[in-house]
Amino acid sequence: MEKITKDRLDEVLKNPPPENGRYIRVGMSSCGVAAGAAEVFALLRSEVEKRKLAVPVVPCGCSGGCHSEPLVEVCVDGLPSVTYGKVNAEIAMRIIEEHVRDKRLVQDYIVDAPMKRAVAL
Amino acid sequence: MTTTVVLIRDTDSGGADRTRDVHDLFTQKVRDAGLQNEVQVVRAADLGIYNKGMVAKILPQGIVYAGIADADVDDIVTTTLAQKMPVSRLVYCGANEQVRIVMRNCGIVNPECIEDYIARKGYQGIKRALYDLTPEKAIEELKTSGLRGRGGAGYPTWLKWSLARNAFGDRKFVICNGDEGDPGAYMDRSVLEGDPHSVIEGMMIAAYCIGATKGFLYIRAEYPLAIKRVQKALDDAYGTGLLGKDILGTSFCLDLEVRLGAGAFVCGEETALIASVEGKRGTPRPRPPYPSDVGLFGKPTVINNVETFANVSYILLNGAKTFASIGTDKSKGTKVFALTGKIRNSGLVEIPMGTPLRVIIEDIGGGVASGKKILAVQTGGPSGGVIPEQHFDTPVSYEHLLELGSFMGSGGMIVMDEDDCLVDIAKFYLGFCVDESCGKCAPCRIGGFQMLKVLEKITDGKGMPEDLDTLKRIAQAMRKASLCALGQGAPNPIISTMKYFAEEYRQHIVDRKCRAGKCTRLMRFEILDTSCKRCKLCVVNCPVHCIAGDREKGYRIDQEKCIKCGRCFEVCKFEAVARS
Amino acid sequence: MVKARINGITVKVPEGTTILDAAHKVQIKIPTLCKHPDLRATGACGVCIVKIKGSQKMVRACCTPLEENMEITTHDPEIVAVRRSVIELILSRHPNECLTCGRNQNCELQKLASDFGVRRESFPQYLPDIKPDTSTGTIVLEPRKCISCGRCITVCQEMQNVWALSMLERGIDTRISPAGDISLADSPCVNCGQCSAHCPTGAIFENDETAKVWQALQDENKYCIVEIAPAVRVAIGEAFGLPLGQNCTGKLYTALRRMGFEAVFDTNFGADVTIVEEAHEFVERFVHKKGALPLITSCCPAWVDFMEKFYPDMIEHFSSCKSPHQIVGVLSKTYYARKKRLDPANAYVVSVMPCTAKKYEIKRSGEMFASGHQDIDVSITTRELGRMIKQAGIDFASLPDEESDHILGEYSGAGTIFGVTGGVMEAALRTAYDYITGGKLKNIDFENVRGLAGVKEGAVPVGSHTVKVAVAHGLRNVEAVLSKVRLAKARGEEPPYHFIEVMACPGGCVGGGGQPYGVTDELRVKRGKGLYKDDEAHTMRYSHENPWVKKVYQDFLGEPLGTKAKELLHAAYKARPEYKK
Repeated sequence: MEKITKDRLDEVLKNPPPENGRYIRVGMSSCGVAAGAAEVFALLRSEVEKRKLAVPVVPCGCSGGCHSEPLVEVCVDGLPSVTYGKVNAEIAMRIIEEHVRDKRLVQDYIVDAPMKRAVAL
Repeated sequence: MTTTVVLIRDTDSGGADRTRDVHDLFTQKVRDAGLQNEVQVVRAADLGIYNKGMVAKILPQGIVYAGIADADVDDIVTTTLAQKMPVSRLVYCGANEQVRIVMRNCGIVNPECIEDYIARKGYQGIKRALYDLTPEKAIEELKTSGLRGRGGAGYPTWLKWSLARNAFGDRKFVICNGDEGDPGAYMDRSVLEGDPHSVIEGMMIAAYCIGATKGFLYIRAEYPLAIKRVQKALDDAYGTGLLGKDILGTSFCLDLEVRLGAGAFVCGEETALIASVEGKRGTPRPRPPYPSDVGLFGKPTVINNVETFANVSYILLNGAKTFASIGTDKSKGTKVFALTGKIRNSGLVEIPMGTPLRVIIEDIGGGVASGKKILAVQTGGPSGGVIPEQHFDTPVSYEHLLELGSFMGSGGMIVMDEDDCLVDIAKFYLGFCVDESCGKCAPCRIGGFQMLKVLEKITDGKGMPEDLDTLKRIAQAMRKASLCALGQGAPNPIISTMKYFAEEYRQHIVDRKCRAGKCTRLMRFEILDTSCKRCKLCVVNCPVHCIAGDREKGYRIDQEKCIKCGRCFEVCKFEAVARS
Repeated sequence: MVKARINGITVKVPEGTTILDAAHKVQIKIPTLCKHPDLRATGACGVCIVKIKGSQKMVRACCTPLEENMEITTHDPEIVAVRRSVIELILSRHPNECLTCGRNQNCELQKLASDFGVRRESFPQYLPDIKPDTSTGTIVLEPRKCISCGRCITVCQEMQNVWALSMLERGIDTRISPAGDISLADSPCVNCGQCSAHCPTGAIFENDETAKVWQALQDENKYCIVEIAPAVRVAIGEAFGLPLGQNCTGKLYTALRRMGFEAVFDTNFGADVTIVEEAHEFVERFVHKKGALPLITSCCPAWVDFMEKFYPDMIEHFSSCKSPHQIVGVLSKTYYARKKRLDPANAYVVSVMPCTAKKYEIKRSGEMFASGHQDIDVSITTRELGRMIKQAGIDFASLPDEESDHILGEYSGAGTIFGVTGGVMEAALRTAYDYITGGKLKNIDFENVRGLAGVKEGAVPVGSHTVKVAVAHGLRNVEAVLSKVRLAKARGEEPPYHFIEVMACPGGCVGGGGQPYGVTDELRVKRGKGLYKDDEAHTMRYSHENPWVKKVYQDFLGEPLGTKAKELLHAAYKARPEYKK
């Protein structure tokens, strides 16, 4: 692994790396995994690969909305970032086809649970 | 050009859900205005707002309108969507928002990717400490921040560190207490799983401040994913030179290691935890001396909870003043709570200290899912207390919760509605402490057991009025004479329920009744002859065969043999079994 | 120094003094069940709680240091009420079997219940159903009566470094047991009995064998012989209210004779024989370089067991000489029986020991049957003898002094100090000096091997040589000494010592596991002083000058380390597993 030096950290502070504007994040903490996030994650990843979509599927921790797990946050060009709750294989497929491919948000599964309203200082 | 998104949700729980109607109306109006290529109208599942009528949230601006009538839709479309102007009369400001300090990266970074953490200004705190601050200055910074231990007792973190720094010892240690064990509490797990590097960075800062060269993360074995992610984070930190020797080009050295806890609740107590790390039976020892003087292997040791360390890295990164601007006078910063029980949105919430309980439960948590009446909330785990609904306007802080006979604890918050029996709840918590008592000191070992027996007597319908005095007497002995916080706090759920819900105890003891129907021994099942259709379903399903009779005379339950399992009540299709 | 006030009384104590000890200084007794002066405070019982002005909490006096200007209240109605609740809670988990308990009238819990005037059961009793562990034949564990104070465990793990006992389970089910819930006999237990001497209740006690003794005394065909160990004479008086440390040798002889023993011998005679043999062994190794150095004493059976389990690499260093009580036993059934024209099969030898491990020693190997019979038939502790004297209706305190029986009852001053730490070393040095130099020591009191320091070291000039010695007592102190020996051996260096004495119990046999209850360092010193006085009172202070020892060699044993002596007076050792499977 490349060593992380003081200069490297200084550089991050001076020129923060741009936030990646494209991602599909899947909550993969215990609460998410217990609700089926692992399957959803695998499915999203394989679909993205198969369709050669330019959006990385990445795991993340629990954002707090455990009641709506599995949570999938989707951020693609041209649409504001939204989070889907209680995602299963079927909804995951719809996310790929409707949201990512057709740029049409999937009806009835978006959650805007409190964690998304949180202020990060 | 980003498409504007309008999220629609009917937030009223009573009556028909009008989300679809309003969505269709909105879509029509958008189309009428010719905005269909710039605006998407989407039905949401949950907007985190409750009982505020029809709500629309407009993204990416984040404007929220509540209480929308059909007539308002036009206005929103023409003013906000077309002209980008707010409709002031509909704007919903909401109650206090959550504030993310501890969970600042949770749900955002990939916990297994150190680069993600670096990109979010990770390891800037330790860099700042190493290059810009002496250990004394760094401790001073913590003092200014007002950070207090998040494990429960709220001891000032800077003071703990300062004592350990000034204690004499050829070696010093830093320990992260990840032995989270309160029923219903899991914020430490979540932070370890979601942002392990923030905890590691906090430990590094602590080690630098006190002069420790070795540290342990004590994580309970029931958290395999947390252990895996922390281990990965440690491996990456070693791999990138952030742990080990000469960290970030300085002479600072630190080794961190994971130690597994075997699931004893008492090992969350710092001296028991130390014994466990040393390989001994996990029992507390008397303090003083405190671990800051005589800790792991007899050396000065700082033990802080996961959440505390996650705060530390934030404070060193963003400065003490930023942190201290949040919270109350004596309780600074935020607190993460695990909101569970009869709540709509069970999950983790991070709120500024001083937020009223009601905001957490009703606004953020969305109230009781069933729509039933909230009775109380239990905070502080098994050593905490039950806070009744009339005190929900109390701000959450170490002091205020203590005044109510409860306790901040590590942050479990369990909501109870009218289906819960408070005597039964008290029995549950006490039973937990009795199971988890290490058995070392007599008041906790025997006192808890005896109290549990008394509570069992009461919930079995054999209670006597003088049992309440016995409970109080043992509670006093346990509080005053137990060795550690487990025993001292174990009577709290009983004492607080006896205080706030005396009537429930009276009903159990005098009327032999359990309002919520949780204490099955106090229940009575009877077959209503007039409603009974003689289908015998109850007879067939009774596990102890205590229902007898025939088609002529009808069927009766032998009350002596009945075990009050409620099976007959459940299976009867004609509501012919009465429960009282 | 720290100045503070306890119940309004000003007290000045050194920094670090606990509230409990400080209160004692001003005549305030704070009750406690788990704290023992020998042991680190564990804070287990919760009885010694006190209030500090300005604090809501109550703190444990046993482990809270007094701080400057503290204002302590040790007794007020609330504190007493809490203490009473705690005591009653403990009683709710302790059987009401006082009348049939070995600790009746001698039980710390019983005393507290009495002091607090507990007159009824406030809480229903829930007693565990656990069987006693009688597997060792030396000490009996009765976990039902255990109040989980943890003293025995601190003793076993920290004082003795044996780690046989531990707590099992948790919460209300917490109980004492060897780790893994095996029997005590299968555990590393070395039978030292210190756990029984420190137990506040009847949960650990010596295997009571008094019935066997009464039966033998009753049996007309049996010729009953008794011997008393050195440390017994300075402790037995405590059972009868006599001053601490008083030497009761004469009264003991009288009492034993009145109980029906036909021959009353003294283990001190055996001690003199041990010294003759051991000093010869030492000279062989030290002067003639035959055998390994250092030579390590082997008269303490708990130490022997400990060594066989934990230090088997030291076997070659062990003196092969038997312990004094075995020597008196074997000589009783051979030499004495022949002289008396007794069938040794009918001789019944009882040894009264300060020790529970002696119960184990009498059967520990084939050499303990050197007479052709079991050399010692039964070994009882000082505590058991105390009870027997009471049962016999003997007013011990008023008894006249009598003499022991000839010949195995005659002893030198060197023999009597076997009962105190450093005594064996001192006795051996006196004799060895004589053997090596042919001259007499001017000052025969070796002050640097006396006292209660855990490890005592010294270099003794013996003619042209210097003998380097070490004395350790309390098994935790063994490691410091033996690791030096191991290290020197591994490096092929000169041994750090030539002669090492080890006694398993702190203070030596005066602090033995079978001695009357309530042992503290203060008491150990008093008992030890009793023995040193006995030594000084003797004109004959060299074991090898004991004329009766010489006579037994002349008449019967032949030469020290000779064939007969080897056959009767020596034993071998073997490595034993710490845990039997």
